[in-house]
Amino acid sequence: MTVYWPLALLTFKEGIRNRALYGISLIAFLFLGANVLISGSAMREIGKVAVDMALSTISFTGLLLVLFIGINLMAKDLDKRTIYMVLSRPISRPQYIVGKFFGMALLIVVTIAVLSVFGMLSIIIEKWAYPDYFPRFFWGPIFLAVLFAALSLILLSAVSFFFASFSSSSFLTLILTIMAYIIGQSLSDVKALVEAPQTAGITVSPVTHIIVQAAYYLFPNLSLFDLKIQAAHGLAVSPSYVGWTALYGLAYTCLMLFFAALIFRKKEFP
Amino acid sequence: MNVITYTGVSKKFKSWPRGKSIQALDDFSLSIEQGEVFGFLGPNGAGKSTAIKILINLIYPDKGSATLLGEDVKNRRIRRSIGYLPENPFFYDHLSAEELLWFGGKTSGLKSQDIRTRSAELLRRVDLTNVSKRPLRTYSKGMVQRAGLALALIHDPEVVILDEPMSGLDPIGRKMVGDIITELKQRGKTVFFSSHILTDIERFCDRAGFLISGRLRVVDRISSLLAGGSTLEDIFLSEVKKAGGGSEL
Repeated sequence: MTVYWPLALLTFKEGIRNRALYGISLIAFLFLGANVLISGSAMREIGKVAVDMALSTISFTGLLLVLFIGINLMAKDLDKRTIYMVLSRPISRPQYIVGKFFGMALLIVVTIAVLSVFGMLSIIIEKWAYPDYFPRFFWGPIFLAVLFAALSLILLSAVSFFFASFSSSSFLTLILTIMAYIIGQSLSDVKALVEAPQTAGITVSPVTHIIVQAAYYLFPNLSLFDLKIQAAHGLAVSPSYVGWTALYGLAYTCLMLFFAALIFRKKEFP
Repeated sequence: MNVITYTGVSKKFKSWPRGKSIQALDDFSLSIEQGEVFGFLGPNGAGKSTAIKILINLIYPDKGSATLLGEDVKNRRIRRSIGYLPENPFFYDHLSAEELLWFGGKTSGLKSQDIRTRSAELLRRVDLTNVSKRPLRTYSKGMVQRAGLALALIHDPEVVILDEPMSGLDPIGRKMVGDIITELKQRGKTVFFSSHILTDIERFCDRAGFLISGRLRVVDRISSLLAGGSTLEDIFLSEVKKAGGGSEL
């Protein structure tokens, strides 16, 4: 912990004081404010819309945080050579990756926690104004959905660290991370379609089948972490699903960090 | 006892994909003893920073090896005993000098109380006490350089490695750095610094080495170098000329 905690705290402070975070937070608060105004016009679905919109805002804000602050936190170290200052201390390259990642994970958790408070507040206001439209409302699935949103963002951040470990520019890391996010979100649907193309009345070549299968196991399946629908409809999520998905997220995150550290060990800073 | 040693270190940089290769260091060997202040001289692009970055393990040599206090530079723990100021240092924008020193102290294994004491002392020494809580992005170039020097010294290292420590400093700042180097020498610390400013090398160093095109040309005591009546500038220019890089001189 001698090196991890100072490095994580340094990263967290640098991220939390970034002005871009204020901009992102402002967007989030506007969305959550809009939630109060818009959900009321959703007729009988007020409860579902209010929960869905609050959770979507939290996830979207977290995504902006990972893409526009998280990636820059590491890229700036390389671009501006701040890394000289870090690596001249008794810190190895793998420790740098892990410490930096802990800082980013802390930033995600704190930001999501703050946003969640306001998100919950927007739901409470709606529930107070339209109590009849929240027939199947439970806080449990909502908290679980927020927790899983944070987990998926931490996983995405680990993926961005992996890309940053070998990419030559922050822009390339950004593009690769966005690509991984889009693939990760739609992978399950595409795999289901490829496995049963007759349901959509299409034919799929064997090559496409192999590519989709490979992508399914290569890219993170982020859609697993999306529990917005369950939260909006007050549906219970099985403990085994929660356990396995959390384990999958943790394992994938560790694997990404392991590969990032492996690549980074060879990296030089002329 | 040799504190810093380079043994047959070579390093070539290849620009990707089909660019020219640059031989930054060529069979570079050097030993620096404990308590010595060693000046590293050479024209721009001679390989001084490359040699220093190999010591910090920021760059890996293609051939040869480097040690610090008898340990291979790849051993991260050895960096607890060294302080490093890079050329044109750049730190985190939103941190203050106080936070920067906290980071340096913590990662070097200092206790919080020791960090506070040492931090206050160093910030006073580099004249940053009044601005110690201000974000580093609001600092001038000279102030950043002084904050970097304080960071290099926070853990009271045995070996201090300074890459162009005077760059960006006004005469007061240069005197401050000079005084710190002298004080380090008096306390028996080893100082290895590169500079373009020959008078600084002459004033503070026991020995100096001239690095030209990646090869170490001359290494001697300052008193011996100046014994024949030549100035460091004469020696520097003549060595550059001998190496074939001084046709314009």
